[in-house]
Amino acid sequence: MLSLRELESAFGAWILHGTESPALAELVAPNGWPVEERLDIYRNNVFASLTKALASTFPAVSRLVDERFFAYAAHEFIRSRPPRESCLAAYGAEFPDFLGGFPPCRELAYLADVARLEWLMQQAAQAGELPALAPAALAAVPEDEAQHIVFGLQPSIAYLRSSFPVDRIWAANQSCEASEETITLDAGGASLEVRRAGGQITYRRLDQASFAFRAALGAGVPLGAAADAALAEDADFDLACALPALFLDRAVVSIGLERDLLSGGQHECP
Amino acid sequence: MAHHDRSTSTAAAIGLGLRAPHVAEVLSTRPRIGWFEIHAENYFTGGPAWAELDAVRRDYPVSLHGVGLSLGSADGVSDVHLARLADLARRAEPFLISEHLSWSTADGVYLNDLLPLPYTEEALAIVAANIDRAQDVLGRRILIENPSRYLRYRHSTLSEPEFLTELVRRTGCGILCDVNNIYVSAKNLGFDAARTIAALDPAAVGEIHLAGHSSCERGGRTVLIDDHGSEVSLLVWALYHLAIERFGLVPSLIEWDTDIPDFTTLLAEARRAERAAQESLVVGDAQPA
Repeated sequence: MLSLRELESAFGAWILHGTESPALAELVAPNGWPVEERLDIYRNNVFASLTKALASTFPAVSRLVDERFFAYAAHEFIRSRPPRESCLAAYGAEFPDFLGGFPPCRELAYLADVARLEWLMQQAAQAGELPALAPAALAAVPEDEAQHIVFGLQPSIAYLRSSFPVDRIWAANQSCEASEETITLDAGGASLEVRRAGGQITYRRLDQASFAFRAALGAGVPLGAAADAALAEDADFDLACALPALFLDRAVVSIGLERDLLSGGQHECP
Repeated sequence: MAHHDRSTSTAAAIGLGLRAPHVAEVLSTRPRIGWFEIHAENYFTGGPAWAELDAVRRDYPVSLHGVGLSLGSADGVSDVHLARLADLARRAEPFLISEHLSWSTADGVYLNDLLPLPYTEEALAIVAANIDRAQDVLGRRILIENPSRYLRYRHSTLSEPEFLTELVRRTGCGILCDVNNIYVSAKNLGFDAARTIAALDPAAVGEIHLAGHSSCERGGRTVLIDDHGSEVSLLVWALYHLAIERFGLVPSLIEWDTDIPDFTTLLAEARRAERAAQESLVVGDAQPA
């Protein structure tokens, strides 16, 4: 006789991988139906509910590939990367990479990036909004340490660079109705800033230098190095404009200095 | 006058499951409804979800219903999940907290379904320990809901009401009697739904759930699926009458989770529940003590 732990383990393995367990089947009373049919109802519920959760996080991906193919891709993903926690809004972080390496999707090279955009938008939808700092906050930093400032950005802000026009692909797949728009895949990529502002999830294109600058700051790179990254993209990058613009966008929620330079604890690291 | 009092309290007892497509309408129109129940896991992300919850909470009592704690897991319940639930409970100050008599997690994988437990002494000890732990962390009593079942284990030694009654005795928890789940399980497993309701201790039942189910044909057999995707069926309303006669006027909830209709349809179901509860109470009064 299986212990409860063994029963749950066998049941879970059967649902996810179809692993046969005669000991489990033996414990299920047929009550006039084949035991497999009874177990199947649970398996169907598990895959249907998780597929629905993924489709609600990745609606444009689901429209791009059609419902049946999405269900197939989701099924394979769920089997290989099942959820580890009950908060399903957090499930699917690995789905974009999975799609990128999923052989049946090979011809849809942009699909993984559309999924990345949808994942970031979903994360932004759940992120809190903190009070934004005014540029005056910079006055607290000693002049000679300006290069070492690190910025904490709004929790909803994220950056995505794609070699495809993912923003236009996403926008053209917001309803089930066929879009009139024709998108040329070699029309160039997109460097996007995703965020939540005033309850709305938005994204916008940034020029290469602004993207390099903001994405670096968002990753915790200090101001000097972030400006260097921007200058590498565009020698005309102007920090004197780019830095105030970041504050005017209500993007900055904390400033501090690189940890190893912190002295006296007067600056808070994000 | 007495009748007026009764209809007022009946209206206060009927709640609706709050679903994302209806939140904006509820906040702007403030419909007359006794209370709302939310799915705890939908609010685990915090952020905007919590702000929305605060707004609902200003106008309505809220009940917190968990679907992912996995009280039936032999591996125990997740500390992280319990801590999030406790955070949410501090924020929402719910008048009830409930979970299911089932398991969802095995070998660290969350299967997102209410999977069936054998009703054995071994399972009883495990579930009781998990409920004890949850009630310790939450600092209050929780209600345990009977799940819809599609299979029965041969090695079960207790009936579902016996299992629930023993959990109440060991842990001090209460029972959430899902009338639709009793009906669905009874049809799928071949037992008597009315006798199941009669076997539950009225003193332990703290809430009732009502929802629609669907039926499908598999290999020439009719299977009822608890999909919460339609109106409450006629025979489930009949069982609800029985439940109210037996348990008295306990908070009763309409749930609708798939093919979610417009809010007006949900309100109409809530009004039906109000009328059903009132009629059942009149019948209950008329019966000899």
